Amino acid sequence: MLNRRSKYLQIAFNRSLNEVREMIAMLPASEKIIIEAGTPLVKKYGQNGISALKNWWSEKIQKPGYIVADLKCMDRGSREVEAVAEAGASAATCLGLAPIETINEFIKECEKAGIDSMVDMMNIEFPFEILQKLRKLPTIVVLHRGVDENEKNREKQIPHDQIHRIKGTYGNVLISVAGGETPRDVVRTFFNDSDIAVIWRSFYEAPEDTANLARAFLKLVK
Amino acid sequence: MQTQKPQKFNLIGLIIVALFIAFSINPILGGVLIVATIIFIAKNPKFLSSYLSALQKTPQPQSDLDKNNSIASFSSIQNLLVKSRMVIPNQMISTSLFKPTRLEKRKKYLHVALNSTLEEAREIISQLPVSDRILIEAGTPLIKIYGTEAVSQIKEMAPTGAYIVADNKCADLATREVEMMANAGANAATCLGVAPIETIDRFIEECQKFNIDSMIDMMNVDSALSVLKKLKKLPNVVMLHRGVDETEFSKEKQIPYYQIKQIKGNYDVLVAVAGGDTIREVQRATFNDADIVVVWKNFYQASAETVQLAESFLKEIK
Repeated sequence: MLNRRSKYLQIAFNRSLNEVREMIAMLPASEKIIIEAGTPLVKKYGQNGISALKNWWSEKIQKPGYIVADLKCMDRGSREVEAVAEAGASAATCLGLAPIETINEFIKECEKAGIDSMVDMMNIEFPFEILQKLRKLPTIVVLHRGVDENEKNREKQIPHDQIHRIKGTYGNVLISVAGGETPRDVVRTFFNDSDIAVIWRSFYEAPEDTANLARAFLKLVK
Repeated sequence: MQTQKPQKFNLIGLIIVALFIAFSINPILGGVLIVATIIFIAKNPKFLSSYLSALQKTPQPQSDLDKNNSIASFSSIQNLLVKSRMVIPNQMISTSLFKPTRLEKRKKYLHVALNSTLEEAREIISQLPVSDRILIEAGTPLIKIYGTEAVSQIKEMAPTGAYIVADNKCADLATREVEMMANAGANAATCLGVAPIETIDRFIEECQKFNIDSMIDMMNVDSALSVLKKLKKLPNVVMLHRGVDETEFSKEKQIPYYQIKQIKGNYDVLVAVAGGDTIREVQRATFNDADIVVVWKNFYQASAETVQLAESFLKEIK
């Protein structure tokens, strides 16, 4: 489980398993790094992909590593949650765009499986409205912009102002922000009170630089 | 007759000649070549089926020749013979080999979604009647649990030429997902209607590139029309439904049948309706102009039910 006082760096992996293995080997062994099995990776390798990441990362840090399965559940969450928990994931994600019944069921199912629930607020203008409707709060709220939207339309901004509002009202949820890619973005993310910063593009573009990048980002995580 | 047939015939003739030459040089070389051609044909069934469909057209010039024989009754009998001998077996062969890579308009389809496990998928696929009007879907849970393996394994289990839908429910990074699903052998992939418009646009574009059908899943979308309006290009299929969790927890929500006519009236797309559990519901959906009716095979359901539904669908809905 995550420590509420600490800040975390979440690195999302979308490459082929062989490349991911090499990249994980290069990462500094730190508990502040969360490894994410990105949606394409999950859809490509299924449970096997998640358990592979779990094994490699746990071996590296000599402790059970924290793995996020980016399921982006829209429907039928219960079976998927069970499956990824079994494969060794410590958290799973659900889309905030899903029907409220699905999100409620997803959070309940995560509790049952003993993993953290993440609700992904991609393409949602007011994450607040979704949270209000839920029966129970998720462990983590993910604020971000889709990758495809970002590439075609760079004007839309990461909703930093939402962080304070959500934390002020719902004190005990953690906030994760995805979409920032430069060290400056990450600093801003943490400065705005986010608990987790998700990065992937810089690692994706320069896999051979993984070690240096991770060290540079880790310095920002206090 | 020779001119009617495209290059494919010459290619096959060439292969046969090459085999003869190889045999005369060295029987082992000939054997190796035969194995190579068999592998080539097994890997490219399209090659053979297009050759066969070219053969199918041959009775026509033959009947022209018969007319020149001037004996009308004889020619008509021969015509019949030719048709019964040539056309029917060829059609059978070519339908079994020919891949319906794309959906046809004016046909009604039953879309069987498999969501439990691959073992159960195998069991149900072996029992399903063989028809080009039955589409087989690798459901989202299967894809997330087994990965693209789920799609390729279901493709393998299904009869040759079956239409496979990968329900990947793409929400972001459309390019990668479409590529993955197409490479695994899917004939169609799905994208969420609630996803950012940029993602859906990219998804449709990418599906066209890979020559597979694009399906937009309108789950939890208030107005499918307003999503379609924003798109640069139209998808092949629009899927309307309530979502499984929704149907389980709040039964009162209705499938928006009135939307089917609205969409089809404005856009040239096929409409799929999810959630037909009985033949009556399936009939109601097709009566309301749906082109595809989706039925789920859940892990707690007996597969006999689904098989029966598929059989009565083929019988009653034409």
